[in-house]
Amino acid sequence: MLEEHLPRWLRWAEDPELARRAPFLARAPLFAGLPRRLLGRLAPRFFEKTYHPGEIVFHEGDPGRALFVVLEGAVEIIQISAQGEYLLRTLGPGDAFGELALVDDFPRSATARVANPGRLLILYKSDFDALMEGNARIAMVVMRNLSRMLAVYARRTSVLAESANRPSREEAP
Amino acid sequence: MGWIVTAGILTLVWLARGLMLPILLAAMLAYLLGPAIIWTDTLAIRRTVAVAMLYVVIITVLVVAGYLLGPGLFAEASTLIDRLPTLTQKADAGLDAAVRELGESAPALRRLLPEGGQWMQRFILDRAPSDPTELFQHAGHLFLFTILVPFFAFFFLRDMHRLIALALNRLPPQHVETSVAVWRELNGAIGRYIRGVVLDGLAVGTLAAIGLWAVGVPYPLLLGAFAGVANMVPFVGPLLSAGAAALVIVLTPGQGLAGIVRVVLLFLVIKVVDDTLVQPFTIGGSVHLHPALLLGSVVVGNHALGILGMIVAVPVATVLQETTRLLLEHRRVLARREPRRLPGHLVV
Repeated sequence: MLEEHLPRWLRWAEDPELARRAPFLARAPLFAGLPRRLLGRLAPRFFEKTYHPGEIVFHEGDPGRALFVVLEGAVEIIQISAQGEYLLRTLGPGDAFGELALVDDFPRSATARVANPGRLLILYKSDFDALMEGNARIAMVVMRNLSRMLAVYARRTSVLAESANRPSREEAP
Repeated sequence: MGWIVTAGILTLVWLARGLMLPILLAAMLAYLLGPAIIWTDTLAIRRTVAVAMLYVVIITVLVVAGYLLGPGLFAEASTLIDRLPTLTQKADAGLDAAVRELGESAPALRRLLPEGGQWMQRFILDRAPSDPTELFQHAGHLFLFTILVPFFAFFFLRDMHRLIALALNRLPPQHVETSVAVWRELNGAIGRYIRGVVLDGLAVGTLAAIGLWAVGVPYPLLLGAFAGVANMVPFVGPLLSAGAAALVIVLTPGQGLAGIVRVVLLFLVIKVVDDTLVQPFTIGGSVHLHPALLLGSVVVGNHALGILGMIVAVPVATVLQETTRLLLEHRRVLARREPRRLPGHLVV
């Protein structure tokens, strides 16, 4: 009797949303490598919000206070200048953006716009800080992932700078 | 349309104003129990199950505490109530004699001295409900509170995250980050303050009960419990509990002035221990109110809602201060809108 019903009761006692959120976060590059127990501590700290296509998550220059993770849909990272709009990246489920708000207090460096109807998870900076202060393992893993992302960014920047400085074939002696 | 909805909500709030106090107390209880539910969230346990389990644990603890401390508290309260008429008569006789003596030795003061006698009688006994209907009304209110507060707290604990998600989905996207920031900061500050105040009250109540028992004051459990609850009121709470203990001394034959001095010294020591050793670990840095603002908020709270106003004054002042700080910070960042421009943009 108990053996028969216990798994069903345990399944009923589980919060489906939170149970789904932890494995989802494990796939996000920023949280890759975190054990399930720590992902369980991270997951309830996120707020969830539904967005409609065309809605701006944040503008370039806005104060950055949170990290966003795409749960469903797509988000475009764009820069708007006098010349027009420049699409930098399109993000899908599992991708995170706004990471630099967790590290420094500078305003946002680009605009994030929702491309397809979707849901985003929002992690407020103070919650993230509290979690990092309370758990060295989370701090170490997230910082390592963030460093990797920054290293990729730094390499890409140097390649861009190099190609911009290299003289073209026509100019070469 | 928005105005009609707002007017409808305000009308409902006005009609249900009698429920405001239990709702406020339920919110405080929810803040107190919140960390336990946050912990069960990390295990992905459904909130209904988690809150129900928590209630079972609390009821068990209360039953055990009632079994251990209840008889002592009940005996002290019964003895005090039984002896109150005799004690007040004796105290009144003593006070009358003192006033008469003072009037005779200094006739100039006679006009300034209050007349009528029966000071304690009027102060204590006349306030107690004498009519059985009134007594039933008080008991009914107490019973209703005992049911309503945990009832509302259950739903606060179970559904608050859903209400926040609902509110977030209604917000325009450009306000989401600031709203989340404001909500998180306020929620954290209020939660830490309420949990800190309750822990502090427990510590002060225990210290007072032990101290009063050690210096030989009657009814130490009852007075200790009162000191713990009164400690929730900033500034006035310690004075009220010391006053109550001093009143018991006045009403107890054979204690005299030395007893009052012992009580005053005991509460001074408790206050110093509380301020220097207990509060840094309980309330600590949960609120960052300037002492003048703290005192001002307590005075305003007292004018607006009496004792309840004094209790909620500090959290309300903290909410106003933190909201103003975050909004000013937001404006300051917007004013120096100079984002770093990063080529490549793997990160934003």
